[in-house]
Amino acid sequence: MPYRAGERRRKLAAAVLGRDPGPAPRSQEDTAPYDVVSGEILDVSPHLIILENADGEQRRLVIAPWATAWRGGTVAPADLPAGARVVIRALRDGTVAERIWADITRITGVIREVRGRRDLTIELDCGPHRRERSIVVPYRSSGRIRVRHPKLEPGYLFDAIGLLDQGTAFAHLPATSQPPYRATAVPPPPMAYEGGEAGISGTAVWADFAEEGVAYPMLEREDTGCDDAGVSCAGLPYLALGSLLRVRNVCDGRTDTLPIVACGCLAGRFCDRCLECDTSPRGRIVELAASSYVALGGDLTKGCFNARVGLG
Amino acid sequence: MTVLSTIAAAALPILVVTLALGGVAKLATVERQASPGTLTRLGPAVLMPERFAKPAMIACALVELVLAAGLLVVDHPAARWLPVVFFAVATYVLWDLRRRRPDVGCGCFGDVSDTPVGLRSIGRTVALTAMAVLIGLEEITGLPQVTAETALWAGGWVALLLACSPEIDQVVSRLRHRAPCEQRPMPPARALSRLRASAAWHAHAGSLLTDEPSDMWRELCWRFFVFPARGDAEVVFAVRLDGRRPNVRAVVVGADGQVTTAGDLGGASLRESTPVSA
Repeated sequence: MPYRAGERRRKLAAAVLGRDPGPAPRSQEDTAPYDVVSGEILDVSPHLIILENADGEQRRLVIAPWATAWRGGTVAPADLPAGARVVIRALRDGTVAERIWADITRITGVIREVRGRRDLTIELDCGPHRRERSIVVPYRSSGRIRVRHPKLEPGYLFDAIGLLDQGTAFAHLPATSQPPYRATAVPPPPMAYEGGEAGISGTAVWADFAEEGVAYPMLEREDTGCDDAGVSCAGLPYLALGSLLRVRNVCDGRTDTLPIVACGCLAGRFCDRCLECDTSPRGRIVELAASSYVALGGDLTKGCFNARVGLG
Repeated sequence: MTVLSTIAAAALPILVVTLALGGVAKLATVERQASPGTLTRLGPAVLMPERFAKPAMIACALVELVLAAGLLVVDHPAARWLPVVFFAVATYVLWDLRRRRPDVGCGCFGDVSDTPVGLRSIGRTVALTAMAVLIGLEEITGLPQVTAETALWAGGWVALLLACSPEIDQVVSRLRHRAPCEQRPMPPARALSRLRASAAWHAHAGSLLTDEPSDMWRELCWRFFVFPARGDAEVVFAVRLDGRRPNVRAVVVGADGQVTTAGDLGGASLRESTPVSA
């Protein structure tokens, strides 16, 4: 089944149901998302960072005096190397850099193979839509990772935040506590009844994908061609690629309307909670692109925020 | 006491309770906002621009509470006839909502009433209008004395209202531990067979170039099918996935990206052309 552009689907659905095809305007209680600038560093000084974005445009941002940067650990913004890929949370229409994450990557997948004794090399299956990845857990990080991932064995889930260095992904921080079950044994969602709670609350995480939008686990397998779709322990409704989701960061009220652009096959297999500002209900409900996640006020090194979603 | 005044006396407490319940449930929905954008999927807020959705819901709830209080304590024709106006307008609004936005609920009892507006919801407001008219004609105020006859008529009214309440289906489903429609898997083939058995399909089958959809997707309780049609047009079907007699809607989109016929949505008050070129 060929997949149409999401916007086209939204417009056709709106035409047949007589609804407005565009996203609903933001309500007064919602806070506007941050400006996010991402690209490759061309030059950086203590007060100015110059980068090139994906379209080849040059962006110059003033570095705020209180700005912090992360590259495998907290560093001074001026110490970031040229050529590093950065995601910047910006103020004042994207002209002032406030938080900078450099060469950060999210390593989420099902463990295929673990090799090595001191530095561990882990082969991961990152789902049918993403490539298989080979990552390295350096000895200095292995303690931290092992505490939260006690079963580094094939078949178990793995989720860490790391650093991309010369094409190799190094795991630095565990992004969550490893689920105690195998990836194929996801617990069923809680019983839900018609007319029950209409809101969907849970954990929003981020993942490495370039397209702005969200990956959502509850898609029909026949529509997406993804045999791993349609699994979630959060009791989510079925939606489609192209559906608009209104995602609200419960912690600070920032809300954005984002399209579903990918199948969140792996997100649905985690039944964890986020403890950012309160304990979220169990289960990952959306996986956001890094820029969308930062725009909604998320910290890439923390890996999740408590979210509530509704249909946009 | 005539038969009519007995019927009206029996209707009054039911009308008061319904109005009060509706008001409280709407206020609770506004307060709770269970999911972002809840109000944009409930009538009457859906007919308002987003920024007025919350005030509209609150205003509607307050009007209902005032009308309920008026029926109980104010012995004036205005207190008896204003509910008639309210329910008559509500009937029209629901009828219009059913044509304009078949995917949204009536919101009569806040987010509990999220089932798309159907004939039952409209029948309920018609019944409530009739009850209000009887009360107006018989000039009844305050709670009646309970007699066997009044209780019998009150039971009849309650049974009628319950039969016209789609919310009851949700209660039954809850008792049967049934997952909501939007969480139940439903193979596309089943929806396709439902589509092929529908009147909307037979109305458009002649213009379709192929029996196989060029695109299909599911969103909550609706499955959408797109079929190529003659003249570079496309026919879009929306099939409701729950209910024994599923709601099927169709629209023809021309090569220029304009809606050329609105299927069973047809009506002068609909947007005549919705640009759908992407």
